[in-house]
Amino acid sequence: MVEDEDNEWGQLNLTNWKGLSATDPIKSVEDKWLLLPAFLKVKGLVKQHIDSFNYFVDVDIKNIVKANNKVTSDVDPRFWLKYTDINVGFPDRNEESSVDKKVTPNECRLRDTTYSAPIIVTIQYTRGKNIVQRNVNIGRLPIMLRSCKCVLTGRSEEQLARMIECPLDPGGYFVVKGTEKVILVQEQLSKNRIIVETDSAKGVVQASCTSSTHGGLKSKTYVATKKGKIYLRHNSIHEDIPIVIALKALGIQSDKEILLLTAGNTDAYKTAFSANLEDAAKLGVFTRHQALEYIGSRVKVNRRVMGPRRPAWEEALEALATIVLAHVPVKGLDFRSKAIFVATMTRRVLMAIDDEHMVDDRDYVGNKRLELAGQLLALLFEDLFKTYNSNLKNAIDKVLKKPSRTSEFDAFNTMRMQGDHLTSGFVRAISTGNWSLKRFKMERAGVTHVLSRLSFISALGMMTRISSQFEKTRKVSGPRALQPSQWGVLCPSDTPEGEACGLVKNLALMTHITTDVEEEPIIRLAFMLGVEDISLTTGTEIYGPHTFVVNVNGTIIGLTRYPTRFVAQFRKLRRARRFSEFVSIYINHHHRAVHIASDGGRICRPAIIVENGRSRVTSEHIQQLKKGTMTFDDFLKKGLVEYLDVNEENDTYIALYENDIVLTTTHLEIEPFTLLGAVAGLIPYPHHNQSPRNTYQCAMGKQAIGAIAYNQLNRIDTLLYLSVYPQQPMVKTKTIELVGYDKLPAGQNATVAVMSYSGFDRLADAPLDENGQISKKYDIIQLDGLAGVGERVDPGDVYVNKQTPSNAADNTFTGQAASVPYKNTPLTYKSPVSGNIDKVMISDTENDQTIVKVLIRQTRRPELGDKFSSRHGQKGVCGLIVNQEDMPFNDQGINPGN
Amino acid sequence: MQTQEDLEPTVRIRELKKDRVNFVLGNVDLAFANSLRRVVMADIPTVAIDMVEIEVNTTVLPDEFIAHRLGMVPLNSSNCEEAIKYTRDCTCLAGCSYCSLMLVLNVACHDDNTMDVTSDHLDLVPFPTDPEQQNPEPGEELTQRGELFGQPVGKHEPGVPPVLICKIRKGQELKMKCTAKKGIAKEHAKWSPCSAVSFEYDPHNKLRHTTHWYEKSIKEEWPLSDNALEEEPPREDEAFDFNAKPNKFYFEVETDGSLDPQEVVMRAPVKQTAPAAPAATSGGVSIMGAASKTASKRPCEEAGSTSSDDSLAKRLEPALRRVK
Ligand SMILES: [Zn+2]
Repeated sequence: MVEDEDNEWGQLNLTNWKGLSATDPIKSVEDKWLLLPAFLKVKGLVKQHIDSFNYFVDVDIKNIVKANNKVTSDVDPRFWLKYTDINVGFPDRNEESSVDKKVTPNECRLRDTTYSAPIIVTIQYTRGKNIVQRNVNIGRLPIMLRSCKCVLTGRSEEQLARMIECPLDPGGYFVVKGTEKVILVQEQLSKNRIIVETDSAKGVVQASCTSSTHGGLKSKTYVATKKGKIYLRHNSIHEDIPIVIALKALGIQSDKEILLLTAGNTDAYKTAFSANLEDAAKLGVFTRHQALEYIGSRVKVNRRVMGPRRPAWEEALEALATIVLAHVPVKGLDFRSKAIFVATMTRRVLMAIDDEHMVDDRDYVGNKRLELAGQLLALLFEDLFKTYNSNLKNAIDKVLKKPSRTSEFDAFNTMRMQGDHLTSGFVRAISTGNWSLKRFKMERAGVTHVLSRLSFISALGMMTRISSQFEKTRKVSGPRALQPSQWGVLCPSDTPEGEACGLVKNLALMTHITTDVEEEPIIRLAFMLGVEDISLTTGTEIYGPHTFVVNVNGTIIGLTRYPTRFVAQFRKLRRARRFSEFVSIYINHHHRAVHIASDGGRICRPAIIVENGRSRVTSEHIQQLKKGTMTFDDFLKKGLVEYLDVNEENDTYIALYENDIVLTTTHLEIEPFTLLGAVAGLIPYPHHNQSPRNTYQCAMGKQAIGAIAYNQLNRIDTLLYLSVYPQQPMVKTKTIELVGYDKLPAGQNATVAVMSYSGFDRLADAPLDENGQISKKYDIIQLDGLAGVGERVDPGDVYVNKQTPSNAADNTFTGQAASVPYKNTPLTYKSPVSGNIDKVMISDTENDQTIVKVLIRQTRRPELGDKFSSRHGQKGVCGLIVNQEDMPFNDQGINPGN
Repeated sequence: MQTQEDLEPTVRIRELKKDRVNFVLGNVDLAFANSLRRVVMADIPTVAIDMVEIEVNTTVLPDEFIAHRLGMVPLNSSNCEEAIKYTRDCTCLAGCSYCSLMLVLNVACHDDNTMDVTSDHLDLVPFPTDPEQQNPEPGEELTQRGELFGQPVGKHEPGVPPVLICKIRKGQELKMKCTAKKGIAKEHAKWSPCSAVSFEYDPHNKLRHTTHWYEKSIKEEWPLSDNALEEEPPREDEAFDFNAKPNKFYFEVETDGSLDPQEVVMRAPVKQTAPAAPAATSGGVSIMGAASKTASKRPCEEAGSTSSDDSLAKRLEPALRRVK
């Protein structure tokens, strides 16, 4: 924790906060909502982006380098180069000549540069007969604002003001070539989990699983019915493989065991499955070898390396070990856990055949994962790093190939000659939004967006937005509908109207998105708590009565006979913070399974723990919170509050208010209004509105003109709006104060008089444009060729008198600079309304190109045809502007308007 | 029986303070009384800053913003009718001392504390005369001006807080020349001498010009105004007189200080009959040498001012003079 957080939260440490003194009498746990500001103090409004980026630069980038840490040479077998460490520095000015290397995001915005930090790797390599260790800069990584690598993090309001930065700006975006870019949160189906679906039209039941390993390889495996029989289907196999053959190939030879692992002791399942056993026998597959031969002849072989043709069974073995269900570990050709995984998929299909309700809902939020900036950057980095290494290897080979060299070969020099492959790769991807990573079969466009600075709220709303991978044209209502499981984690109101309705969502106020947590310690812990290893069990035990299967991140690790006790102990340890608070555990009684999840991208939220009908958080705790002697983290550590992901919520009984608590209650909501997002939270009394009004308001609140940031007058954006007299709303919500909307308001408190008037609803006609050529006028240009600050610009006025070489395409060198012909390319003012020059900026970009920015200001009054709205989705077009003497007045002579 | 027209209009002043007057107007018809209200608000000329030439503005506020705030500063406009000409009526080309006033604002902050720039910093200076330009017909205007004419209202007056224009910090400066002109509130509300004008008649609603919505009891839910004491409450069994007309009108005129309340009210009847000054569609302050607004002349469209009111106005004038 940083000492000087911004002042707003510093208020928490005062004795008097928002009119509430520490000595005020406390009725029950009345002010438990104060946990929300405490939560936001730790996490901020856009914690999901920042946490994800921090995880990437601190943890993930090191893992990627570890996995690709060696560069060798085909020419000289003695040569090797090893990456031992990688670190991302702090942003600096990437110019050789600069004295002051410190850089601020605002400088980058103004100078059209990229806010980025060097990536430094530590390498060990052979130089002659020695091994040398050095640090090398291999490129630059754009830095997310307010992340752990950003210069703004942990600064006080005054320090931020010196850096010309707004303390209310949430951060979480990048500044690339001067534009602010956001990587929107992407919604996806969860990886490495079994999803069972039915297609009633075709009568198909299928269980599918998208495997994703850290290498980034993704593939989907299906176990599906076809004409009453079950098959295994995978992209790398030409034909559907009868399930029994697949299981035999995975090492389960006996039909009895296959039956036990799939159908268990349930007669209905046995009947449904028996045909499959006959099928395999008919095809003459009885042994594992026969099964492997059967599959091997159907595997798509990737002939990359020239070599002897391998026998079919070997191809099959490799495909089954590495491509099919790649996420299930196969240690030393021990296929047991993979076989059980396939058997489980089969059993889920059998269950769905028997009972059509036993299917999964792919729209259920618990079956979703959110992909954030950190994950996307990690993929991009891995791709760029691999290319970098292969380029490096080629360059090294090239040098080593030369028979006689003048000096001893030093790979460090070759590395420095590698250019800016990584830097340009990052900048290109973020500024275009195209993530095309051939290596990972990824081809995505529109990943990044320009941060909307229409208003403070529009920028904030963009940071909480989630876009879906589903195509917009599909006319299915399922993914668009409001899911009950969205409660508390996704805003029910904030979604656009029209084609993206329900597909674009927004996070609720207290939502947290997890990052990856290492699963090995979790598995070890599960075994210590009495879970039996799965590889020691057979079908009889797995599906025996009272037995529950234990899964970690979708992979079966073992069995337990006492699921409730196991889960309770596991939770107890989590509440004691023996491992990450973001690891979730829950029991699925339908599948008789315990699921532990530690993967990233899960959506979770905090809730107060209730024990024996009493809230664990008491008034004393809240008092300590007000005094500042306790932080949100202390609440987690003491086991008063815990994070629940959407799946674990199913195991809980959450009371909305304290007086709703009964004996079976397990949790208490921190505050009901946190189920709304940051934008919907601005609506006063939303529960009195018709629900679509709240949705309309969420779309409209972002268009309100007000102040966009404290540094607004120091920004030169394409379009900037500023209201002359913005007012903070008289009717506030708690959310308004928490997001800082009262400090950067948009709109005014209006008097509304409702009366009939012979008014008319007509838009003003569009003003006619002047006809004919407007002659260029140069009278506001000063000696430097730029318009003077404060000068009025009329249509046709030249404000930058620029000249460009007329033969810019011609690169022949004439030797004489003076003889180069120039042509006039002045910038003329195009708007039909005159404006004034507000600011002129002269600077240069990273590659010493002179850059001139001219900010032109226009003053506008409300006029006929302008749109106005209340805060409840009630918009209207101004049809009449009335003189004061024509206005209604009250007994004191007061009109609307004064 | 005497009709309303036969009676002398009456004015009874109930309260007269520096910035407000409360009076009861009698024996006039509704249209006349309402037109008095409207004229008081929108047709009495005052002077206000209309053009600002900005030399230095290093404050946080943009030029237009400050110019707008300056326009809203009330300036002393006593005897505005005689003391200054409309620029459009003047023979000069670009403003002269007969039709314009010059105020300068020149403030810089050298202090570590935030400094308030207020209307007290506005200094009235003699209007610079262009020696080349001879005014062919010098008027009487200059002699008609009072000592404070054109000064910001309440400047250096104890107990009157000045109008805040802008806040500046160390190193910031504001330097500008402001030209004030005569105008009326129909063009822009900054020329209105009034801040609030209240107007009431028939406090008991005997005439049933309005319908009071109520839940249980009209009497409980619609409290009577103080003006109800002036009139006889209706008897329970009183029949509705559909021929009755309002006769007593209760006014309270509150000014912003640019004109005294009595001057505002006294000027009004004259204005009611005189052809109204032109109204323009847009107002505001023009800055940086922007051409002054050329307003199109159009005849008075004041509601309620019929020709018969001409005589009424003449009859009302002595009544007003008497009370002075
Ligand atoms: Zn003149």
